[in-house]
Amino acid sequence: MSIFIEQIINGIIIGSMYALIGSGIALIYGTMRVLNLAHGEFYMLGGYIVFFLVVTYAVPAYLAIPIAILAIFLLGLLVQRLTIAYLLPREEWAFATIAATLGLSIFLQNLALLLFGEQFQSIPYYLSGVVEIAGLRLPQQRLLMLVVAIVTIAIMTFVLAKTRFGWALRATSQDKDAAAVVGIPAARIYTLTFGIAAALGCVAAAMLAPIYAVNPWMGLPVLFKGFVVVILGGLGSFPGAIVGGILLGIVEAVGVQVTSSEWRDVIAFGLMILVIWVRPWGLFGKPQ
Amino acid sequence: MLEVEGLDVFYGDFQVLWGVSLTVGAGEVVAILGPNGSGKSTVLKAIMGLTPAKRGRITFEGNDLRRVPTHGMVDLGISMVLERRRLFGAMSVQENVLLGAYRCRDAAEIRRRREWVESLFPIIGERRNQEAGRLSGGEQQMVAIARSLMSKPRLLLMDEPFLGLAPRIVQQIGEIIRKVHGEGISVVFNEQNVQLSFGLSDRGYLLEGGRVVLSGTGEDMLSSDVVRRVYLGG
Amino acid sequence: MFKPLTLQSYLGVLALVAVALLLPLFVTDSYVLHLLILSIIFAMFASAWNLVTGFAGLKTFGHHAFFGIGAYASALIGINLGLSPWLTIWIAALIAALAGLFIGTPILRIRSMPHVAIVTLAFAEIVRITISNLKGITRGELGLWGIPAFEGFSLPLVGEVVFNQSVKVWYYYLALFLLLISMGLVALMMRSKVGLAVVAMRDGEDAAESLGINLARYKLLVFGVSAFLVGLAGGFYAHYVGILTPMAAVGPDLIILVIAMVLVGGLGTLSGPIVGAFVLTFLGESLRVLDDYRLLIYGGLIILSIMFMPRGLATIGTLFRRRPADVRAD
Repeated sequence: MSIFIEQIINGIIIGSMYALIGSGIALIYGTMRVLNLAHGEFYMLGGYIVFFLVVTYAVPAYLAIPIAILAIFLLGLLVQRLTIAYLLPREEWAFATIAATLGLSIFLQNLALLLFGEQFQSIPYYLSGVVEIAGLRLPQQRLLMLVVAIVTIAIMTFVLAKTRFGWALRATSQDKDAAAVVGIPAARIYTLTFGIAAALGCVAAAMLAPIYAVNPWMGLPVLFKGFVVVILGGLGSFPGAIVGGILLGIVEAVGVQVTSSEWRDVIAFGLMILVIWVRPWGLFGKPQ
Repeated sequence: MLEVEGLDVFYGDFQVLWGVSLTVGAGEVVAILGPNGSGKSTVLKAIMGLTPAKRGRITFEGNDLRRVPTHGMVDLGISMVLERRRLFGAMSVQENVLLGAYRCRDAAEIRRRREWVESLFPIIGERRNQEAGRLSGGEQQMVAIARSLMSKPRLLLMDEPFLGLAPRIVQQIGEIIRKVHGEGISVVFNEQNVQLSFGLSDRGYLLEGGRVVLSGTGEDMLSSDVVRRVYLGG
Repeated sequence: MFKPLTLQSYLGVLALVAVALLLPLFVTDSYVLHLLILSIIFAMFASAWNLVTGFAGLKTFGHHAFFGIGAYASALIGINLGLSPWLTIWIAALIAALAGLFIGTPILRIRSMPHVAIVTLAFAEIVRITISNLKGITRGELGLWGIPAFEGFSLPLVGEVVFNQSVKVWYYYLALFLLLISMGLVALMMRSKVGLAVVAMRDGEDAAESLGINLARYKLLVFGVSAFLVGLAGGFYAHYVGILTPMAAVGPDLIILVIAMVLVGGLGTLSGPIVGAFVLTFLGESLRVLDDYRLLIYGGLIILSIMFMPRGLATIGTLFRRRPADVRAD
């Protein structure tokens, strides 16, 4: 029984990481209606930056992770400016942006392969201890993941609800023209949103990298997980993505107990297709 | 104050405005009239940069507006109430109103403006925390106008301010336009109903098929045969 | 887009087919023939993907599922039931078409392009993981081998027709034959009532609906035909290469390659996918020395063609010839 509960708790922790990934996809879709197929690559590059800083240059993790997040944020800004921003005014922008981000994904993945090689790199745990709570043994590393996820989500929630930028972002995502009329520059909001979403991916990468290895292909499975999350939560909804992420983590944990780990992704995708079939607007959203 | 000259606008290959010219003086209320599909809304959207103009000159106090992006208009003193209000429905009334002062970073100034619009529209203070999407049509229109006024404009463009509103509310909105005008703000609005429009405006332009076919004061226009022809097809 | 065929375009197509038929007289190098055969397989795949994405406007990203289903179905039926590839590729194509109808039904209810993209991608992943996990049947990542080859026969006048890796010329002709069938089917469909309806719905669903066109049924038909053709290409591929792995037959790299081909060639044109398939296959091989850069370059090509050449190579000529009506001195 306690193993079962431990699995559920692990599911919630992994789910909080899915939530970070999914919320990035949701923010981008929510504001500029772009499905970012390259989202996993920012996660992957974030993992590499953390790896090089922590392992190669022996930078302490508490410094390395913020540096990586900043770097990925800036990279996100740059990529959005060079590709998405250029395509958005097109009539065919919806397909053009999906296709362009697909190309971007392959490009970045193979660039990483070329630059960093195909070996799987591992990052040591940031914390190595184990905590015992009510008879449950939890590695401190896992608890750290949960704490980081909660803090990140809290900061994002605050930014969206209380800051000038957050208001501008929500206004732009609800009505681009009305936002422009009150003086909100949509293009700049889009670029910033893309950078923030990429940075959220980097937070997840920094926390997951010690558990999974860093490699050029690590972005794709995570991208798929992110898609499942945003479908569960309603595409474009930030709070939906948080709940969807946790939910997916739990469902996977239970599903793997029932079947076996190699069917994990099939469970996730099956759940997603079921949700699209029954509630295309997500489990928590409203039909439009 | 505002001068539009020879404005041509296309939607794709389809030309919707043909050489439209008009002027708005300081402190004037100008109505743009015309039946459905005559291009009234397009004129306002083109001024605001929401619809790109193909040819023509649009200047505001000497600034070439065709070079200004939509989000830069409030900095010049131009604000707009979009057709069908277009509030940020999932946000509160207060958030909507405050977003109107997005470009202003002076907290004291924002408070002054908020008190000013609350004095014009008491409902804003009363419904402060309500979700804007849940208000009635008339209330939404007031919030939309309040939002536009928060940028302290000198020119307010109003796209179909009376559309879909009950007669009693139309009266109220009409009062508000007078109040706004009383604050020294120039107003351009468009409306199908000629009688209603001339009760509120100093001058008007009549559009038909994307062309200005008549302009002048209310009395001039009401006595013109052109109005009757345009509206009655006679 | 679909003007009546002129005599000129008939002659053009005939000339191309003639060139393709005579090509093996000049190309005897087995490696170049191999590239031509690969190009043809990809041309079939790309044309079928273009049928739903370019013509029907249904942006799917999971068509590699049907390629894998076609390839594995044909191979497995051949291995386990001992049926001839001449038969199994058609059975496999039908199975792929059924899978297409199965996944197409829920997709067609969705109007949002991102949802369609996600569902189709996920569907293909499910297929890939399932094939990979069912080791007892498919041997998983180890690869499925012992796939029967096409049986030879003798033709009057021509002589022996044999299919083996050292004599590729008959594989080439078979592939060409399948491509011609596919293209004929695509062209026929696009010129039929279904085709007109399908293009109408791409250009505006509401307009098409107001004409009383039963969109769902036509879309499903197009989707099924497309899956059939991709499955056929997959089946041929299985018996041509003789070994299948989940990554090679259903990997996401496949669809990426196909998308790159269609975008480079020209989305929504008949010739674009074929042009793209040949250009990228040969370009890819000429970069064989730079093998590591291949996917990097495909990725870059997708981005560049979307950004700077949205109409693709197939229409680049017309782009220069046509003078935009609205270019006038202001």
